[in-house]
Amino acid sequence: MKKDLQKVRNIGISAHIDSGKTTLTERILFYTQRIHAIHEVRGKDGVGATMDSMELEKERGITIQSAATYCSWKDFDINIIDTPGHVDFTIEVERALRVLDGAVLILCSVGGVQSQSITVNRQMTRYKVPRIAFINKCDRTGANPNRVTQQLRDKLGLNAVMLQLPIGLESDMEGLIDLVTMKAVYFDGDQGEKVRYEEIPEHLRADAEAKREEMLDAVSMFSDELMEVILEEGTPSVETINAAIRRGTLSLQLTPVMIGSAYKNKGVQKLLDAVNAYLPSPTDVENTALDLDKGEAEIVVTNNPADSLIALAFKLEEGRYGQLTYVRTYQGEIKKGDTIVNSRTGKKVKVGRLVRMHADQMEEIEEAGSGDIIALFGIDCASGDTFCADSINVSMSSMHVPVPVISLAIKPVDNKAQVNMSKALNRFSKEDPTFKTFVDHETNETIISGMGELHLDVYIERMKREYKAEVEVGAPRVAFRETITQRADFNYTHKKQTGGSGQFGRVAGYLEPLEEGEYEFVDAIVGGSIPREFISSCDKGFQKSLDKGKLTGSPITGVRVVINDGSSHAVDSSDIAFQLAAIGGFKEGFSKAGPVIMEPIMKVAVEGPSEFQGAVMGSINQRRGIIVGTFEEGNYTVVEAEVPLSEMFGYSTVLRSLTQGKAEFTMEFSTYKQVPRSVSEELMKAYEQEKKNK
Amino acid sequence: MGYEQLANKNPLRILKIGKEGANELGLIMARAGLGKTALLVQIALDAILLGNRVIHVSIGQSIEKTRTWYDDILRHILQAHSITRPHELIDMVQRHRMIMTFKEASFNRARLEERLNDLIMQDIFKPNCLVIDGFDFEGTDRAAIENIKEMAETMSLQVWFSATCHREDKRFSSAGVPAPCHEVDDLFGTVIVIKPEENKIRLNLIKNRGEVQTTDAGLDLDPTTMMIKKS
Repeated sequence: MKKDLQKVRNIGISAHIDSGKTTLTERILFYTQRIHAIHEVRGKDGVGATMDSMELEKERGITIQSAATYCSWKDFDINIIDTPGHVDFTIEVERALRVLDGAVLILCSVGGVQSQSITVNRQMTRYKVPRIAFINKCDRTGANPNRVTQQLRDKLGLNAVMLQLPIGLESDMEGLIDLVTMKAVYFDGDQGEKVRYEEIPEHLRADAEAKREEMLDAVSMFSDELMEVILEEGTPSVETINAAIRRGTLSLQLTPVMIGSAYKNKGVQKLLDAVNAYLPSPTDVENTALDLDKGEAEIVVTNNPADSLIALAFKLEEGRYGQLTYVRTYQGEIKKGDTIVNSRTGKKVKVGRLVRMHADQMEEIEEAGSGDIIALFGIDCASGDTFCADSINVSMSSMHVPVPVISLAIKPVDNKAQVNMSKALNRFSKEDPTFKTFVDHETNETIISGMGELHLDVYIERMKREYKAEVEVGAPRVAFRETITQRADFNYTHKKQTGGSGQFGRVAGYLEPLEEGEYEFVDAIVGGSIPREFISSCDKGFQKSLDKGKLTGSPITGVRVVINDGSSHAVDSSDIAFQLAAIGGFKEGFSKAGPVIMEPIMKVAVEGPSEFQGAVMGSINQRRGIIVGTFEEGNYTVVEAEVPLSEMFGYSTVLRSLTQGKAEFTMEFSTYKQVPRSVSEELMKAYEQEKKNK
Repeated sequence: MGYEQLANKNPLRILKIGKEGANELGLIMARAGLGKTALLVQIALDAILLGNRVIHVSIGQSIEKTRTWYDDILRHILQAHSITRPHELIDMVQRHRMIMTFKEASFNRARLEERLNDLIMQDIFKPNCLVIDGFDFEGTDRAAIENIKEMAETMSLQVWFSATCHREDKRFSSAGVPAPCHEVDDLFGTVIVIKPEENKIRLNLIKNRGEVQTTDAGLDLDPTTMMIKKS
């Protein structure tokens, strides 16, 4: 067991769909000798690449779930999280980013920086993940790594610096020039496994020297030593240059750019060298946890294996061997047979089998040190839970989990499907906090909700494939909400006298808008007009009222309820009487408090040729969107807008026909906003109609 | 919307900006890093509070960066004045502002006009005010600015520019406008030069709606918040 944390790398591979990350990962595993044959994502041998462990991914050629895998390169331990590329799976990407120390951002040398890369880059910036860019597919027609590097600067605002130059491009790509060592690098053998270093070809020398100068200029900002050598017109050593690049990368002020073609087996080994040389080790990154015993005070984790254990369960997976929990340790060690505590539930669990994952194969290990990524077997927990040693009570800071914005009703086709469906839903909701499921008691339908149409589509597909649960799917529905806009008083008496003991309770107070948060209950009763024991009954009643608003039957949020008066009866008052009084009071107040409907607003980015900018803006305007801004570079434009989700259904088809298929868009949830009056009236009418039809 | 009251409290009222028929060009000059963008954004927000629609053209900057400027300045405004429904104001500003960013090389009148017409013809956004941040005065000739001035007149737009001047360049126009704008200063109705003084950042008002100013306007930029204040 190697303990040198300086030689551990926890990295993610993030990119736009189809820029080749699965192929790259496959090559990495091959060169690090974790696998012994290479399969293509859409290969003819039907085996598929190793990282895409789900059937569906193999069929679609895209990566949906992040699988953690381990490999070793030149004495460094590298844990790779393969992250999904579509925004609809944002939680997967964000969860992966949380446990990473560094990342490789892959770009296609033809497609360049696409909207997806912009989103992923934004997420990496949010989690302060240092990154290396890898410009892949340099063998493809139209490859232009210089242009992509420029886009990294312009569109992503990164200080991107090329560390390599290609020797030939497109089908003529032979190898690359390493600007740090000033050597030509070739990749020989059937699968490029033999790296050969040569002198730089004469015809490229001048260009290489110019580019090296440019690179040194940019890199010297991060090292006084390097700056001095350059000023004295000396030749800096490879170590000095590498140290400067590393410092720049770790400070997030420099993004080294590597190039290659994973498919043609070029440049992958050099990328691995760069991962070792420039990306952070666990000790280079400061991670914080919350001390639950000290009012959630922030503490910095130590990375020290001798300290008490803190580990985060960032992913659950039900594999063919049972439930696997992927865990990242932040300090301390996990050993087989240890007892650890889930800080959310307080439950103690015993560590059974401990494995290092390599896609869907595994290697048994006895212990894992700080900073490692491993998987545990048979541990009952939810993703996002923190495990720690018995002696401490901390939680890794909670991950930002977006609220689901879209829902669908699903109905199993037969009894067998019903059983399988509930198994599947149970597992999906444990794995993915943005995927929620519940039964609507009025319609008896099972509702699933998530972050977008594609997000839910994938789960429906998985239900069919992995669980053999055929379901009928209803039309997607937007998750509306209701809230209030002004303060309103209520004073409600619940009275029932139907023989036997009656029911009596009076509750008075007011509702007011709550700027932040969903619900707040304030007890401002003085003099005991409502007996102590019934205060919680009132709270319960108000909370029940939040489930369904009267406008569209959507949940109510953003309400503060204050009770300041009431009365009771010595015999007839009871828990249920006060709950019903609170429900009545809420109803009375809510109607007077200017209730409004809120809808999810999505942040939408459409990119494509500038000639279509007018048409794109028109299409957004028609969808009640607000255009935030446009970005224009040459003949290429990005339009950023905020658009209500309800207006975005079917937008991909519209966009395709508007732009001859040349534009694409991404969207992610931004916020909830009030629905305009005209739309709100329609929604209320539809809800009334729906109620009548029941 | 009724934010005029808020706008009236703005120290910028000393300038005669935001009045009817103010289709003149305005210019803000300073050395790098003294607050040109902050001042432009405050002028844009002032125009918005007075009920105008503003297009913020940012040359060489990202949408996000520009947007952050607005968010920051608006937050300072919200903090300084007690506004009952902050979200309404934030929402209003968003609806009355659009950001257009261009790469240096791709910005010219024809392209800008084409974009503005896209918006106006489809009834998406009809601006009354344009702020252009990052315009390259050193690499442009007089005709290019005249061209934009003409466009502003035909489209009834108030246009504000920012320009970077340099400490070592000692050229000035007779009115006191520094290079690189010293030869085109007659095209601008209002010119403000931001000047650092000991512990202060002064706003030096050189021209106000066509009148050359001889007295001090008494305006500063707060060095920590970059907000305009009376000296």
